[in-house]
Amino acid sequence: MSRFLSLDGLLAWLDGLLKEGTVVVAPTLVEGVSLYQPVPAAAEIDLDGGATVLSPKEWLFPQSHTLFTVERRDGAAELKEGTFDGRAVLFGLHPCDALGVHLMDVPFLAEPADASYRERRERTALVGLSCTRCRPECFCTSMGTAPDDPAHLDVMLTPVEGGYAVAAASEKGEALLASAVLEEKAVPLPEPPVPDRLPTEDLPRVFRALFGHAYWGRVADRCIHCNICSYVCPTCYCFDVRDYSRGNTAERVQSWESCQAPGFARIAGGYEPRPSKAAKMRQRFAHKFLYFPEAFDGPLSCTGCGRCVRSCPVNIDIREIIGDLQRIGVSSVGSGEKQD
Amino acid sequence: MWAAEKSRTNPLIPYAATISAVRELTLDVNLFQVELHDGGGFAYQPGQFAFLSAFGVGEAPFSITSLHAEGGPMEFAIRRVGTVSAALHDMEPGSLVGVRGPFGNCFPLDDFRGKNLVIIGGGIGLAPLRPIIKTTLGHRSDFGDLLIIYGARTAQDLVFATEFEDWAAVPGARLELTVDREGPGWEGRVALVPAVIKELQPSAENTTAIICGPPIMIRFALAELKALGFENHQIVTTLESKMKCGLGKCARCNIGEKYVCQDGPVFTFDQISGFLEQL
Repeated sequence: MSRFLSLDGLLAWLDGLLKEGTVVVAPTLVEGVSLYQPVPAAAEIDLDGGATVLSPKEWLFPQSHTLFTVERRDGAAELKEGTFDGRAVLFGLHPCDALGVHLMDVPFLAEPADASYRERRERTALVGLSCTRCRPECFCTSMGTAPDDPAHLDVMLTPVEGGYAVAAASEKGEALLASAVLEEKAVPLPEPPVPDRLPTEDLPRVFRALFGHAYWGRVADRCIHCNICSYVCPTCYCFDVRDYSRGNTAERVQSWESCQAPGFARIAGGYEPRPSKAAKMRQRFAHKFLYFPEAFDGPLSCTGCGRCVRSCPVNIDIREIIGDLQRIGVSSVGSGEKQD
Repeated sequence: MWAAEKSRTNPLIPYAATISAVRELTLDVNLFQVELHDGGGFAYQPGQFAFLSAFGVGEAPFSITSLHAEGGPMEFAIRRVGTVSAALHDMEPGSLVGVRGPFGNCFPLDDFRGKNLVIIGGGIGLAPLRPIIKTTLGHRSDFGDLLIIYGARTAQDLVFATEFEDWAAVPGARLELTVDREGPGWEGRVALVPAVIKELQPSAENTTAIICGPPIMIRFALAELKALGFENHQIVTTLESKMKCGLGKCARCNIGEKYVCQDGPVFTFDQISGFLEQL
């Protein structure tokens, strides 16, 4: 026996949460593009759309948001923090995106925590949806999750005939389900789909060994620094902070930034520590597969969602890069092909 | 103004502060004294830095050039280079600014004790070295001989010139000034900083060199120090980097596996030569 929520029951549950003021952030079509956005009604949710174009990190770490404003009046200045004091449900996370949230938690909740992120994260419950099919670009099982993995989720839903099998993974999840009309019945679970596997064994060590390899120049040559890989990525977390001014009010804004952007690390006076395309591209992958696992005890900073593969306009493919490096690592030990 | 409590609960929110005094050090470098409003304040060590906010323009990291142990206001020597530094230069005493800090590690003073020190500065690079100079001059018996080699493009670009006489007057301390280009009113040495190292031949024995200046100066000064027998672990520097948070998160100061904001900004060349990504 397991718990079952009919499709109508799901919509009623979410509409009930909306009615009591909870923000429901879910995949929805915006001008034909699938994005995680707050929805006005459960019927607006794109329940069967697969991976969204942008990842759900956007809810917890917005593209841009106000850290604070400083308003000056009559010789005094008042600072107002941008805050989120509501409750939210991030709905419809596939296991790769649940892993993505976890991989954002790791740096942002590390002390001293990013206060804006922590505030949103603590006030947001994660409701997942296991995958019924894989896309050609999916490789989640190579990154430590799986199409039916409930890890990091508060509630896990598995699509079955007429509705969803329901599993709650946390106290937060059980509390959220209190208002759902669940049935107890025998629900056969479908076989999860099987995504492609990548050779990720020992990746940090391979990255370190090939850090100065000429490969980076070859693969980076066609990059046009559009930054889309960082923007669609559920785990890229580099950010910018800048001020805007209007009348007596200054606004300080935190926003997404990409290590692929020219000027990302350039200092006033002009010094640029990573001027070449090769160094910039290596930075992004080294952060994911070497710096991050070394700094945070293990996990690679990638979920296998495949969004960057789909979005790159010049077909730079993270799967190919991992495969190439493993091959070079095996074949070129001692060959001395180096750059820098 | 806002309560200091906000800055303690959210590390991206600055303390409210006032520029209490501005002194012109050179044509494009001003010394700013900054006083935090009631309830705000922090202790800091030589080599640490803080972010200054010009609200509506932005925020940037600057080394703290005062010595906390002296008990005076916090000081920053800032060259007009970028948008934030230009906005600060346009401010009058009494202006509101934001301060976040202190960030970063500090100079390893314990390692310096009992050693001779060669402090090598170029241009505005003297700013982070000043608290070390003040510390070693104030505690002469804790340190060996102190040789300060300081250069700038012209005599008008030497920062903290009014303090030179006091520094040179301390027993066991020697100040050697140089400029790249001669000019009116300058009777002193005309030479690049690395050439002065070569000329003075400081001994590497029981000595630590502390160096800060433009990258090109550092590169050639390093070569001269090596020629004199200095090993990488005897040479300390402080790195400048793009930064947006100071918390090891924004990743703008990430070099190889290091974050300049938290692992640095002070490094020995032993550490730097071991960076996965070379500068």
